[in-house]
Amino acid sequence: METPELITLEIDGQSVSVPAGTTIFEAAKTAGIEIPNLCYLKELGPYGACGVCVVEVENCPKMLRACSAKVAPGMVVHTKSEKALATRKLALELLMGDHDGDCQGPCKLNCPAHTDCQKYVKEIAEGRFADAVATIKETFPLPAAIGRVCPHPCEKACRRNLVEEPISIAQLKYFAADQVRKDGNEHPIKVAAPTGKKVGIIGGGPAGLTAAFKLAQWGHAVTVYDQMPEMGGMLRYGIPEYRLPKAILKAETDAIAALGVTFVNDFKIGRDADFAKFRSWFDAVIVANGAWKSTAMRVKGEELQGVWGGIDFLRAVVTGEKPDIGERVAIVGGGNTAMDACRTAVRVGAKEVFVVYRRTRKEMPAEDIEITEAEEEGVKFKFLYAPDEILGKDGKVCGMRLQVMELGEPDERGRRKPVPVAGKFEEIALDSVIAAIGQRNDPEGFADLPQTQKGTIAADEGNFSTALPGVFACGDTVNKGAGIAIGAIAQANEAALAVDAYLRGGEYRPVKPILSERELTEKDFADRPRIARAKMPQRPPEERRNDFKEVNLGLSPEVAQAEAKRCLECGCHDFEECKLIRYANLLQADCKRLHGDYHPGFVEQKLVTIERNQRKCVLCNLCVRVCAEQAKQGLLGLVGRGFKTVIKPEFQNPGATAVCKDCHLCADNCPTGALKVIG
Amino acid sequence: MKLVFGEGSCGIAAGARKVRAAVEKLNADGAVEVGITGCIGMCYLEPIVDVYGEPGTYPPSEASAEGGSMRGGNGEPLLARLVRVQEKDAERIYKAAASGVLSGVKDLEISADDKEFLEKQTRIALRHCGLIDPEDIAAYEAVDGYKAIRKVLTMTPEDVIAEIKVSGLAGRGGAGFPTWFKWNAARNAKGDQKYLICNADEGDPGAFMDRAVIESDPHSLIEGMLIAAYAIGATKAFVYVRAEYPLAIVRLEKALAAAKKAGLLGENILGSGFSCDIRIKAGAGAFVCGEETALIESLEGNRGMPRLKPPFPAEKGYTQAPSNINNVETFANVAWIILNGGAAFAAMGTETSKGTKVFALTGKIKRGGLVEIPMGLTLRDVIFGIGGGIRDGGTFKAVQMGGPSGGCIPEHLLDTLIDYKALGATGAIMGSGGMVVMDSHTCMVNMARFFLDFTAKESCGKCVHCRIGTKRMHEILTRITEGKGREGDVELLQELCNGIKAGALCGLGQTAPNPVLTTIRYFRDEYDAHIREARCPAHECAVLKKFEIDPAKCKGCTMCAKKCPVGAISGEPKKPHAIDQSKCIKCGQCVATCKFGAVSVG
Repeated sequence: METPELITLEIDGQSVSVPAGTTIFEAAKTAGIEIPNLCYLKELGPYGACGVCVVEVENCPKMLRACSAKVAPGMVVHTKSEKALATRKLALELLMGDHDGDCQGPCKLNCPAHTDCQKYVKEIAEGRFADAVATIKETFPLPAAIGRVCPHPCEKACRRNLVEEPISIAQLKYFAADQVRKDGNEHPIKVAAPTGKKVGIIGGGPAGLTAAFKLAQWGHAVTVYDQMPEMGGMLRYGIPEYRLPKAILKAETDAIAALGVTFVNDFKIGRDADFAKFRSWFDAVIVANGAWKSTAMRVKGEELQGVWGGIDFLRAVVTGEKPDIGERVAIVGGGNTAMDACRTAVRVGAKEVFVVYRRTRKEMPAEDIEITEAEEEGVKFKFLYAPDEILGKDGKVCGMRLQVMELGEPDERGRRKPVPVAGKFEEIALDSVIAAIGQRNDPEGFADLPQTQKGTIAADEGNFSTALPGVFACGDTVNKGAGIAIGAIAQANEAALAVDAYLRGGEYRPVKPILSERELTEKDFADRPRIARAKMPQRPPEERRNDFKEVNLGLSPEVAQAEAKRCLECGCHDFEECKLIRYANLLQADCKRLHGDYHPGFVEQKLVTIERNQRKCVLCNLCVRVCAEQAKQGLLGLVGRGFKTVIKPEFQNPGATAVCKDCHLCADNCPTGALKVIG
Repeated sequence: MKLVFGEGSCGIAAGARKVRAAVEKLNADGAVEVGITGCIGMCYLEPIVDVYGEPGTYPPSEASAEGGSMRGGNGEPLLARLVRVQEKDAERIYKAAASGVLSGVKDLEISADDKEFLEKQTRIALRHCGLIDPEDIAAYEAVDGYKAIRKVLTMTPEDVIAEIKVSGLAGRGGAGFPTWFKWNAARNAKGDQKYLICNADEGDPGAFMDRAVIESDPHSLIEGMLIAAYAIGATKAFVYVRAEYPLAIVRLEKALAAAKKAGLLGENILGSGFSCDIRIKAGAGAFVCGEETALIESLEGNRGMPRLKPPFPAEKGYTQAPSNINNVETFANVAWIILNGGAAFAAMGTETSKGTKVFALTGKIKRGGLVEIPMGLTLRDVIFGIGGGIRDGGTFKAVQMGGPSGGCIPEHLLDTLIDYKALGATGAIMGSGGMVVMDSHTCMVNMARFFLDFTAKESCGKCVHCRIGTKRMHEILTRITEGKGREGDVELLQELCNGIKAGALCGLGQTAPNPVLTTIRYFRDEYDAHIREARCPAHECAVLKKFEIDPAKCKGCTMCAKKCPVGAISGEPKKPHAIDQSKCIKCGQCVATCKFGAVSVG
């Protein structure tokens, strides 16, 4: 056979020699230069639709499509010239602005830690509980605990809200963890070879434990220090037993220790070692010591005996101090800590428990279910009252004077502001007052670290580094202060990545990924059958109010699977392999800038086992071409013109299904998630 | 005497056939000879009847200026040209023709002014249009028809190509690529079977040059194609003509059949050993099929979508065989060049553009129709000299050259030469011949929006830049014309324009931004007025119009209030009325109704 002539050209400054007749695309590939493309498949030859592979060739006035333009001797090709990148980026921005798909589900996006809810819910639906736990543990190590306590922003974002009620994502999470613990079949977690680097973490709460869990997996020697006798932080000392049994938490912290993480308890910076000394023991340090101080009410009488901070009261109950709160107790505040405190007060024997809140039930930040359960357990709510003075007798609380409030103008968050009704007061007789209005960090011992105006430790919002090299800080102790556990976990994950990079001599900077997101309303789901959300079985109020045993009894596997099957699977099945989103991120193509009407997107239709989502189609025509040229079926074709062009079975033929060989070549070659193989 | 009716599509649409039927009814005895011809080119005067006969029968005192100066296809003198004739005129037209006394139809005769329209033209491609019967091969042969192919059959193909090279003929479809070069490439391409294709998929809004040629002189196209086929070595040829041209198809079918019968088509043409067959393929109405590679896809029976170039059709065209594609007008010049010599053709025009060009002059022009002029005239010569300027006493604003792929040229550039290079420098293009004239009442943003609506709908959908890019441009232009434009929209449009030009796969997408780019270049102030002041300076964009009654002029006649379809006008009789802007739907009824000119549009 005749050997083809070799042609030498220059691509991005590299000299490349390829046989005559080779395309620029293939020539670049031999030099290790990747030219993005969406519609090219070597076996089918060039097509030229996507315009993403355009390159600039010196002395050529037009941009060339690398997939089709042939090499020529002495050609000078620039695959990343300004004009080539701009033209390529425009193609991607045009495609993204017309791409009516969710890269990821709203649940995952709305979870501060971006836990892959859709994935583990699907695994639960399929009965693969151990896989589900493994999925959750890709993000954090405490599924049984967090599943029980998380206010689940995922569920607030769940699209099922537009049908009837959200998926019980949090309950499913702890169902899976409980089930796998019961079955003893959790997948082992892989730990990398030791790096020889040592990391010290201050604080054994959700943030510290998550960072430890991650860093240990990556081969670092991690020691977690905590001031309390057991690990778990607020999960153990702030969350009452009836919501999160200590034994369950212990099982999860033990699993972290099993990875090789060393736990040191009853250790406090400033008392047992000063911070500078502590730093010298490690290659890197994470400060995650939480927010353990109750916020004061700043009213007269706060110093009286019988006035408690909310978290102090809860911790005292956990540590077995048996706090004496008497028979009549008022809890001030409307958050989850207030609910934990009032329900705990009921359980330690108070006869009459009041919650005093300055707004109405509607404005309460606590979870609705918590309020309902507190009411069921006999807690009385006094809405539109603010503490004015705590009344005392002999240095002890005897009552509280309450200022009557009313709702005024909405504040910047849209919540109506409570304003005092001039001269209207009310007094109640009390034995104790629990102030659950907030909590803050204790900076004592960390003077070396710059603080924010709020008194929290100042950390970088991206990688949670501090002003001190090798010192990172995250969780309730930094920046905005106390938040929800999963928020602290999210920060810990970033901090762990930053520590790992730091230990390897680099620097970690998170990049906000470009994602396609759909905006939908109830109308979009009008045809969905309504399926009620699973009901969590509970112990009756009259029984549970007397003890600390868990209130919720947990979902059965059957109920959990049925619940998980309600998932709408919003996130794209092809996200990991999607070329469109990969290139959009590579070129920082803005999804919204060139957004306008969407092309016609009919709902899915099936071709044997192929499901089509026309909304995500980029009209690369690969499915049409592989079906015709490789599968030799020619079932698919383009229908309509211009912007309204869609791909359908040729001539909209419903009989196409009968002819389809079900070879999946179309779905395999789809560069986006428009085609999906279904069971 | 002989009455010849102008029966191109335009004449027929204007009623020529009805007038002819009425005349024929009166002419049962055949005292008057009745015939047809194609498009004369003066659309604005249709229906037109030409009166032919011996000059002696026509009293000299009544002699028309046409007498002697113009002749029909077979040399007969044209005695009178009657314009805008109606069915009710049939009787006196018949009587005049039968009696030989034309005084009874004097009022129907073309005016001296209107005669300028033809007199100022130089017709090569249209040389027979309106003069011969397109359905009669003998009529074509009587005007030297099929002489050129006879001559060519004695020449070598190389000599034919050389003659075309001398002529400087360039592709009249719009791109202006040298014809000889394409022929030569196809001739030199390796392949046992070569094809010749005529692109008659004339899709530009307002363009009808090709239709007129096929309807009026189909044999000239056939002869031009035969010469080209001989030159490149093709034995099979197609005319890809849009199905929206039924009359052209019928006449071409008749012409092909007649040519075949005469031995001018098919096997062993005129005993020369050269064979060529021509088939008609009716296109399904997609604008993009005027793009040569999309046309080839469509010919092959596929969806009309462009292919990547290279390979060019000369190398791999129809069924991957070497193919040559030319436009109708290009072919219509070929026989003339062969008979008169390439040098005669090249003698007309400019350094860079030779010969003549046909334009379809439309829009707000006084005399609209088909115009063929030598290259090198100015736009002003055509629009004001031939077209007579703006109709209804309006003011010239701009001319759109080259349809949706072209651009607009403003007043201060009216002296631009009709030349590929000179027109290109303005941002517009020569194009295939569409010349749409706009007056001061035309909103340039809305004009750009109209063309983008067209290209967005006609995009084949294959490439991203064109499919989505033109759609987004149309959306932005629409919001600007609705007064919802945003600061930065013009810059965004320019960015899209440049990106689409660079990234689109074929000529349709690459040129689609031209109307937007040129209107921004010459009429940026109109864009700004829409965006910043929600004002349409031309008062064309309906949403932005504001109707107001001048109380000083209003007599309180109540007519406008009665006409207003939404009850937006109120007022007591004999007192000034007022328009409720919140109710007004800007239909303009009040303006049309007011006898006192009291309603103004702002």
